[in-house]
Amino acid sequence: MTIHNITSKGRFHNILAWATFIAVSVSIYMIFMWVPNEKVQGPVSKIIYFHISSAWLAFFAFFLVMVCSVAYLKTRDLKWDVIAYSSAEIGVLFTTIVLVTGPIWGRASWNAWWTWDHRLTTTLILWFIYIAYLMIRSSFSEEEKKARFSAVFGIIGFIDVPIVWMSIRWWRTIHPTVVSSGGFAMDPRMVATLLVSLLAFTLLFFYLLQKGIFILNIKNQTQIIKQKITEIR
Amino acid sequence: MNFFSGISAIIWKDLKAEFRTKQLLSSMLIFAVLTLIIFVFAFDPTKDVVRQVFPGMIWVCIVFAGVLGVNRSFVSEKQNDCLTGILLAPINRTAIYYGKTGGNLIYMAIVEVIALPLFAVLFNYNIPAASIFPLILVVFLGTLGFIAVGTFLAALTSNARSSEILLPIILFPVMVPVILSAVQATGAILSGAQTADWVSWLKILTAFDVIFLTVPVLLFEYVLEV
Amino acid sequence: MSYLFAAYMAIWILIFGYTLILGRREKQTQEELFLLKKTMEKRLEC
Repeated sequence: MTIHNITSKGRFHNILAWATFIAVSVSIYMIFMWVPNEKVQGPVSKIIYFHISSAWLAFFAFFLVMVCSVAYLKTRDLKWDVIAYSSAEIGVLFTTIVLVTGPIWGRASWNAWWTWDHRLTTTLILWFIYIAYLMIRSSFSEEEKKARFSAVFGIIGFIDVPIVWMSIRWWRTIHPTVVSSGGFAMDPRMVATLLVSLLAFTLLFFYLLQKGIFILNIKNQTQIIKQKITEIR
Repeated sequence: MNFFSGISAIIWKDLKAEFRTKQLLSSMLIFAVLTLIIFVFAFDPTKDVVRQVFPGMIWVCIVFAGVLGVNRSFVSEKQNDCLTGILLAPINRTAIYYGKTGGNLIYMAIVEVIALPLFAVLFNYNIPAASIFPLILVVFLGTLGFIAVGTFLAALTSNARSSEILLPIILFPVMVPVILSAVQATGAILSGAQTADWVSWLKILTAFDVIFLTVPVLLFEYVLEV
Repeated sequence: MSYLFAAYMAIWILIFGYTLILGRREKQTQEELFLLKKTMEKRLEC
């Protein structure tokens, strides 16, 4: 592979970038100009469009981490590891968005920043699990070990999520719940806006993923070239 | 050498090495009691509220002491390249995991047998005779779940540059279900609640134990590659 | 309303922050590659 070849991103990247830009603009227009306010909560309810989208995408990202981890352990091809790593990083970013916007919405509509509600709590634990995943990556220096151990943890972490969800849910049903999160009457226009923002975030996810993979690939290539140069010497 | 004799050989090896110095066991025990004493100073033990959080306290002590022990189980094999020796032994890799888990479980059992009655004494906690058996069951299932994940992740982190720091960070989020259900079940049993109130927590604990004792069968080989 | 503003500000700051980090990483690697290329060419000339 020549140097010129690996530094070009290809046409696909630009198409994805523009599609993301357009979809995000449309969804912002819909959220702020077009969609009606929720009757009870007022304008604050508009937080949910990006909040829910990023929550779904975060979960998808972690699912992708698990799938790529299994694929890496089966094939030992570093390309799977690269996808898993970028996906985990973006997943943590989206989880952070969920964790930041969740309390802001909660403060506005329930008058409490944080409630130990099962969804919020599971998201917090999810965040810690994938921070741990990134910590594992940063504490090994050899490529192969880094890939192998983080793949093992990527699988363990994902298996753990349903158990965490169930135990926290049972814990919260035993204690009195302070707030009920149900009862959100959805107007058809709200559903449409939600779907468009979900699409926008999906495109954003794939754009970031593709960019992350590209950067990691050139980084790996640079390492290989460096090694070759020292060998020639 | 078959699977089970491999497991028992590793458990024996660990116990023999440990009982020469008893260094790990004594530090785990002292650490558990010290943690409780710090709790006593931080929260006044004569208040009624503190008695309600007693189950939480004992589990925090167990888990903190347990992390100490679990952390050592593979790091100690790094000295003189002992791990390579174990890997060369004609046994299944999974047997190494179960052997280490068994060894850690025995350490924890020893620590708990000494520490838990001591905790009850220090807090003047009258445990009704009827709740002793369920309590032992909960402590066993909780410790098993903790050790099952802990041993597996300790094997993973033992290769890292700073394993002592890494292990708690990756272990605690994964074992949230264990600590949650163990504390809830212990609390329910100690307050003399109906069996139906804590049996669901036992189910979660059992499910966790079963899952994290079988997952290593598939994944442990990848952790111990050279 | 200010809560809504705060929430969307937070979202954009996070996303832009991440893209900035990605961009910086890309720039660093590109520079490194460029340097490598240069030294290789120099060596070939010698």
